[in-house]
Amino acid sequence: MKWFPSFGFQRRKRELQEEIDAHLQMAIADRVARGETAETARQAAAREFGNIPLVQDVTRDMWGQAWLEQVGRDVRYALRQLRKSPGFTITATAMLAVAICANSTVFSWIDGTMLRPIPGARETGDLVSLQRGERNFSPTPPFSYLDYRNLREQNHTFAGILAYHHDWITLTGGAQPERAYISNVSANYFDVLGIKPVLGRFFLPEEESRPVPNVVLSYSLWKTRYAEDPAIVGKSIEIARHPVTVIGVAPEGVVGAMPGIREDLWVTLDPLGTDVWRMTHRSGGAVWLNVIGRLRPGVSRGQAAQDLDTVMHNIVAAFPDDHLGDNRITLDPMWRSPFGANGYMAATLPILLAFAAVVLLLTSANVATLTLVRFVSRRRELAIRQSLGANRIQLVRQMVLEGVVLSIVAGAVALVLTSWTSKTFAWFFPANSNPLILNGSMDHKVVIGIAVSSLLVGVLCGALPAWRSSHAPAVEVLKAESASISGGSRNRKLLSGLVVAQIALSLPLLICSGLFLRTLRNLAGANPGFEQDHILTATVGLNIAGYSHNEEQVIRHKILDRVSALPGVKVASLTDWIPMTLSHKGEDAYPEGYVPHPHESLKVVHAEVSPRYFESLHIPILEGREFTPDDDEKAPRVLIVDQAAARRYWPGQDPLGKELRVWGSLFTVVGVVRNSTHTFVNESPEPMVYMSFFQAGYETMVQVETEGNPVDLAPAVQNAIHEIDTRLPVFDVRSMRESTQMASSFAVIQSTLAGMFALIGLVLAITGIYGVVAYRTQLRTHEIGIRMALGASRVDVLRLVLSQGLWLTGIGLALGLAFALGLTRIIVRLLYGIGANDPVTVVSVVMLLGAMSLLACYLPAHRAMRRNPVTAIREL
Amino acid sequence: MSTSMNEKDQYKNRIELLQGTLDMLILQTLQWGPQHGYGIVQALRLRSGDVLQVETGSLYPALHRLERQGWVQSEWKQSESKQKARYYRITAKGKKQLASDLGRWERIVEAIGSVMYVKPEESES
Repeated sequence: MKWFPSFGFQRRKRELQEEIDAHLQMAIADRVARGETAETARQAAAREFGNIPLVQDVTRDMWGQAWLEQVGRDVRYALRQLRKSPGFTITATAMLAVAICANSTVFSWIDGTMLRPIPGARETGDLVSLQRGERNFSPTPPFSYLDYRNLREQNHTFAGILAYHHDWITLTGGAQPERAYISNVSANYFDVLGIKPVLGRFFLPEEESRPVPNVVLSYSLWKTRYAEDPAIVGKSIEIARHPVTVIGVAPEGVVGAMPGIREDLWVTLDPLGTDVWRMTHRSGGAVWLNVIGRLRPGVSRGQAAQDLDTVMHNIVAAFPDDHLGDNRITLDPMWRSPFGANGYMAATLPILLAFAAVVLLLTSANVATLTLVRFVSRRRELAIRQSLGANRIQLVRQMVLEGVVLSIVAGAVALVLTSWTSKTFAWFFPANSNPLILNGSMDHKVVIGIAVSSLLVGVLCGALPAWRSSHAPAVEVLKAESASISGGSRNRKLLSGLVVAQIALSLPLLICSGLFLRTLRNLAGANPGFEQDHILTATVGLNIAGYSHNEEQVIRHKILDRVSALPGVKVASLTDWIPMTLSHKGEDAYPEGYVPHPHESLKVVHAEVSPRYFESLHIPILEGREFTPDDDEKAPRVLIVDQAAARRYWPGQDPLGKELRVWGSLFTVVGVVRNSTHTFVNESPEPMVYMSFFQAGYETMVQVETEGNPVDLAPAVQNAIHEIDTRLPVFDVRSMRESTQMASSFAVIQSTLAGMFALIGLVLAITGIYGVVAYRTQLRTHEIGIRMALGASRVDVLRLVLSQGLWLTGIGLALGLAFALGLTRIIVRLLYGIGANDPVTVVSVVMLLGAMSLLACYLPAHRAMRRNPVTAIREL
Repeated sequence: MSTSMNEKDQYKNRIELLQGTLDMLILQTLQWGPQHGYGIVQALRLRSGDVLQVETGSLYPALHRLERQGWVQSEWKQSESKQKARYYRITAKGKKQLASDLGRWERIVEAIGSVMYVKPEESES
């Protein structure tokens, strides 16, 4: 059995065979030439040559691969040892595989999201996302086109700066209209990302702001909707009933510049010439672009931020009225860019990876315990080998190899497992209205990660016990058959240390998972301030289907009428926003006559809602009135504010009748409603204003309060809308409960993983302490027998065994509590409705762990207590 | 019958090679030109008048060791009798080694000789 059969080795073996054959042939030929018969010549030559396999063997030894052979021998020896104790081998491998897999899974998720923020882009480490003003999760696009142009042209630190804005659109013209995510991009978009087309070309600089109806398709759209047509470039397709020309196809896997979001096609910023206003203003609706820059080589993020701040300062000085509020520029690397998914990922995944690392340490301690016990029970074998001439290094090397073999096998198993678990990340995200593409990825970084953790584990659970065991002086071990039977005090101390470590590591895991689980329960039980049951919402793609504004308004009224009339519908209303779906719209708003301080941000979130919206969501009107059908485009602009907005703008005053300036126009406050949750249950309340849907609504979402289960009404609502126009795209039809699950998906990820990790930790810690106490008790059988024979009662024996286990538990719990205090501090921001040191959680976890350890110690103690002293003494 | 007796006698007259001398003999043989393993055995036997018989179990390990040490190089060639064989050739490094081996050998022979051929008067005085 060769363990390192290199290609070269096999070739040399073959050549040696040929060399010997040639030797024999020549010997035979000489003998035949001297007159011998072929047969006798052959026999004589063979006899003269001698033992061929022996010659080969001795010759091979000269090849200088002795060390390789030795390693091979050691590996074979390790395998033989492991095969001898299959129970240990299987348990240890399984535990290590699970622990490594926990790490590699979380890492694959980080790898697929944070480390690959823009698939297909060149050197994403040089890319930074630009934010103006406050830095929070998923902010609204922060720049106007003109500001972006100034930043792009006047900076000295960027190799390029791109801008984009994306939204849903309907692809028409085919057999079936299809919804797709379209992105308006600056002409240098693909250049800055470093992406080359697979077909055709991308945009030219002169096309950027001119109305040129050109489109670039994503690879997947080209494949699915246009059947990979190789002649697609130059063809005309229809988007929202406008003809546009395909100029290129992006490479496979390229999905756009926002992490976690899939864009399907790209056009320039104003391809139809219909957005001139947006291209020529600097505030209000003209602030619509997300911006990403590529740093010049050698420029730091800090330098670039300073550079852009200077440019921005000049812009603000030149156009002060367009730049009220906070205008400071912050730059984020793409792995934690607030735009898209990575802001959330960066807040969650690294913490989970830290938990997984604790699990790995814990598992290593557990396997090290098992290994040490094995080595102690093999100490006679080791001593004999030592006295037969094996030196300590050789012994240690062989023992370490056993650990390394285990961890390599475990790593291989983890690799297979991870190739599946890395894809489970997407499961955590409920159906929602964003084109999310979040998943783990299994690339070389993950494989390297697995290899490194396997190696680490192998050394931790192999080397430490091996070094310890090899210390025992051979003579002592061989002589002292029973006196030092517990394996020496050194080993005892190491064993105790390992048990204490396992308890100390599992306690913080349990506490954190307890906190996460209670957070999840608190989130689910929290009152968001609006009705979630009996509500159905459906999005009608009016704005993306190419209708004129007047057509839109007519259709909206028709929808409201038809849906209201459906049986089972209590209240129907329209809105352009659904709470707790991670989307929100923000705008600066100023009370009339108020002069804001420089950089003072007066941002409010806003939504446009129709009459009866508050009624259907059960949000009480505290003052004034709800919107009425009369609040339309002809009527004066009106506003309903929530308590937080009223308190911010008019503290101590009656807000009714006051005016607020948004987008440069004045809105009169006609009502005040109670605060409700906007994005996360645990958010701090931000001021919110509601505008009348028929004055400012953009997207059209139907919101229905139903009598029964809202999902049952979905087909009826869809039919009612299609009766108006069969071409109306209706999508994202789901209950409010389902929609709002998005807000707690990260809490679900945290509590699920922390819970699994904690469970693994608990099992490991308990089996660890059980194993050690049982092993030690077994070694002391003889001593216990003598004690009992001398008059010790069963209770004394019980106390003797229990006390040692409980000592270890006690020390472990104390250390674990100290560790937990540190660890819970890093999760405090992720908790809701519970403190990081919540006494109930801490006490119940300590009691749980204590009780389980007690049980784990009691079982061996009970067994020892019931032994017959006579047999116990006789047994050795 | 007589030939076989003759062979047996010859075999009795062969002597075991001294440790370390095999390397020297191989290198010396290769001084006369590249040779394969069988050729080396034959050459040594001929030149020693059938006295030196190298065991294949010593020859091949020695050749492979010399190659690893860089004293000889090998390549596959056709022999005169159209037999494909591995030919060994001495390298510059091998020649240097041969010189030093030879020097050592001469010193040993001299030393042994001065022990063996001691004049009786000298030993008595």
